[in-house]
Amino acid sequence: MTETTYARPETLDEALLFLKHHGADTRPLAGGTDVMVDLRSGKLKTSYLLDISRLPELQGIALWEEGLSIGAGVTISEIYASPLVREHAPSMLKACAFFGSPQIRNVATIGGNVGNASPSADTAPSLLVHETKAVLAGFSGERTVGVEDLFDGPYQSGIGPDELILRFMLAPARGRFSDFQKIGRRKALAISRMSMAILAEQAKDETFRFIRLALGSATPTPMRMRTVESFLMGKRPDRKTLKEGARLMAEEMVRITGRRPSTVYKEKAVQGLFLRMLYPLLENGAV
Amino acid sequence: MKTYSVLPIQFTLNGEKTMVYVGAHETALHVIRERLSLKGTKEGCGMGECGACTIMVDGKSVNACLMAAPQLDGRKVMTVEGLGNEENLHPLQEALLDHHGVQCGFCTPGLLMSAQALIEGTPRPTHQQVVESISGNLCRCTGYQQIVTGIENVAKKGAGEA
Repeated sequence: MTETTYARPETLDEALLFLKHHGADTRPLAGGTDVMVDLRSGKLKTSYLLDISRLPELQGIALWEEGLSIGAGVTISEIYASPLVREHAPSMLKACAFFGSPQIRNVATIGGNVGNASPSADTAPSLLVHETKAVLAGFSGERTVGVEDLFDGPYQSGIGPDELILRFMLAPARGRFSDFQKIGRRKALAISRMSMAILAEQAKDETFRFIRLALGSATPTPMRMRTVESFLMGKRPDRKTLKEGARLMAEEMVRITGRRPSTVYKEKAVQGLFLRMLYPLLENGAV
Repeated sequence: MKTYSVLPIQFTLNGEKTMVYVGAHETALHVIRERLSLKGTKEGCGMGECGACTIMVDGKSVNACLMAAPQLDGRKVMTVEGLGNEENLHPLQEALLDHHGVQCGFCTPGLLMSAQALIEGTPRPTHQQVVESISGNLCRCTGYQQIVTGIENVAKKGAGEA
């Protein structure tokens, strides 16, 4: 490989045609906040930078019958400012509030955050609790895939070299309890050491009749915590249940990730984060 | 579709139309500092952590070190040189001097651009918004309090005039 060259398609079709021929040697460029760092460090070597930041097909946030649609090229700042996201995906709004810095949020896109497949992608836990589907496009057509399945491994994405993410479809929160929590080393700009999102609904007797939990940064890829979800379903969020849920969360994390030097800290931190997130439900009247 | 290893771009830089040839993955920072010799925009960390290279693109604060130069094409760009000059300092620059918000000065241009982006978008920011607006800018001298006070004073005055 010799030199990196730059191309800026005017339309999605033009971009997909380019990827059909050169996909394996191409890196899409949107906000550049990961790509430019990796190019500079030498971690990323690519023949072509395909600037997709101006493609109109990747823009826009809208509420459709199928769900809340967020274009892959929408910036984190735009998501944070969106009344639709505020109403239908509050945990996503919170994730965007704590994302990077103002300068990063102004250019970084949700598509880039998912496409880069970092285990600590800040939008991932919220996307997972909303059971988000990503709509991918290739030259020969579109396909829809769950966001959880797009994370193959740390920095390994399931997006084909000839594909682009078009948009994300989130199942709307519909007034359910929704939150995002994150631990980082510095308030702004910190890479998440751990992040978590929840979407839950309680029946009249306060038992959970719907719950989705997702964990970021603590497992090789962001993941739904289905064991903990099943444990909590049908139970009231009292102190004992929440403590047991937290313990299960830590157990599940260790089962998936294995024991590492950081596990001593993370086992405690994951429980603390879980309890911090769920305690507001306790205050809502449960004992 | 044409691909370029070097390409011409046009953009408005501090109000003036500018044409320059840039490399495919040259940073906006490199173009501004080295080709156009505007040395106000600093390189600190080179990875978006410190904010010393903050410029405004179409009214928004961005890290020039993370932006590919070809992406400036057609944009309106403002650097600290567009804010004020030695004879005629911008109110934000005056305020940082008055409130001792400058010590070594390395972070100052970036901080000014973050503050300017805030005030353009939110003329009457709350204390929290001011703090948040400069959260992507590291200053190792002042402890930030003087900077925040300076920006808040400018915002108050601006709001008073309006």
